Amino acid sequence: MKATFTRTLATALPVIAVAALAAGSAQARDPFSKEELDKQNAKLLELVEQGYNLWHGSNPDMSGNGLACGNCHPDAAASNPQTFPKYIQNMNRVVQWGEMVNWCIQNPQGGKALALESQDMTAMYAYAMNLHRGKPIQPGLASQQTKPIEVKYGKGFPSKPSGIGFDTK
Amino acid sequence: MDHKKDRREFLQLTGKAGLSTIVGSAAGINLGVFDLAHAQPGKKVSPFRFAMITDSHLYSGDDHKFDRQLEDAIEQVNSMEIKPDFVLYGGDIAQNGTEDQLAKGRKLLSKLNTKLVLIPGEHDWYVDMGAAWKGMFGQDTWSFDHKGVHFIGMNSILVPDFWTAKQLSPRERMAAMEMLEGPIGGLWGVGEKQLEWLKKDVAKLSPDTPIVTFTHSPLWDYYPRWNFQTVDGPQIREILSKFENFTSIHGHVHQTIYNKVGNMTSIGAMSTSWPWPYPPVKLAYPSSQMNRADPGNEVDGMGTLAVNVKAGGDKLVEYQPFADTLTPFLKKGLKA
Repeated sequence: MKATFTRTLATALPVIAVAALAAGSAQARDPFSKEELDKQNAKLLELVEQGYNLWHGSNPDMSGNGLACGNCHPDAAASNPQTFPKYIQNMNRVVQWGEMVNWCIQNPQGGKALALESQDMTAMYAYAMNLHRGKPIQPGLASQQTKPIEVKYGKGFPSKPSGIGFDTK
Repeated sequence: MDHKKDRREFLQLTGKAGLSTIVGSAAGINLGVFDLAHAQPGKKVSPFRFAMITDSHLYSGDDHKFDRQLEDAIEQVNSMEIKPDFVLYGGDIAQNGTEDQLAKGRKLLSKLNTKLVLIPGEHDWYVDMGAAWKGMFGQDTWSFDHKGVHFIGMNSILVPDFWTAKQLSPRERMAAMEMLEGPIGGLWGVGEKQLEWLKKDVAKLSPDTPIVTFTHSPLWDYYPRWNFQTVDGPQIREILSKFENFTSIHGHVHQTIYNKVGNMTSIGAMSTSWPWPYPPVKLAYPSSQMNRADPGNEVDGMGTLAVNVKAGGDKLVEYQPFADTLTPFLKKGLKA
């Protein structure tokens, strides 16, 4: 019985391999070109910029008392998207980062929550993640002081400078 | 955690003062007991306490939570068992620098039952370049002597003109300065005029006169990106380098922080509005960091400061948090 199975497998393997190669070649494509990557990156940066603006109060619905995310989280510091999902005591459950953002919007900021699947929330996430690049992913980390990345100039990501004052790079 | 290092830091930061707190507490703390153990004959300082409230960032309108938090701070200071001889307000009464916000601050601060001295922060200043602030609170540069200590207040939030060339409105100028990580305003400082004033102010003081400076921002390069600095801090430290006991107390950082640079001991105060994260720099005294604030407790990471000046001019600095923000280390107080 065992010998029969081995023979069958030996016959079948090359067929499976050829089929897999054929299927693979049907789905494969060239790596993204520089132009394509630049375009993708530009789209991402557009969203990061949108997130930066939201972070600093561009959507008045997100605040009922004048506070924006940036008041407490300059350069997105201590927003720690790399530590989610994690248990949040106030909610008594494990939440994703966007839920924590909405908690902040609704409580300290007294504003209206964003839809978790909205482009605005994705933009906020894109900004916060961009300002935490290189940080180790540590789901659940909750009790320690954390440090943001060091921002040398500008907004912390490639962005058109305003041309005012120090913002010249 | 490196307990040996913590212990070393404990001794460096609290020294005898750590012990005096314990002695003071055990004896029902009064300044007589406090000073008995630490009197330094030959110096002319009479013991006293002063307090600090800072960074309330009041918004316009009624019944904002920051109004209540400033009221909590005032109540906390008014209730101190050892009454402060005066209270320093360390800047940023207002969030957007408007006259109504400053007036609200003045009204709330009038409930203090002791003398108040103030310096401005950037949030108070850049709508009208300090006109409303000065109209309500007086000069932004001053000094006075109190019980043998020379106190100096300076305006450390002055930046070069970035607004005229771009024809920014006063509100746009203020908005640029409101953002801690805003890339426009640039580094601030006290400027030449105040440096000249400072030289003259201390010229005739003897080196054994204890000096306490009040500025909104720290006089050392903590994290320039967030203006946790004063650009002419080195010149200020040089002018004050002859003094044996020089303590710099500042606001702006919204957190507990301690440092020593040359003869200067620097202490940062918590705000009454919100706490800020620690920036990405290596601290010389990492034990001076408070606990990470719990966002579920809306007053965690905030509070006031009490400074007990002892005979001889040494000080025990005690953070007075609204919530359980302090590490066991910080609860013992810091020596300055």
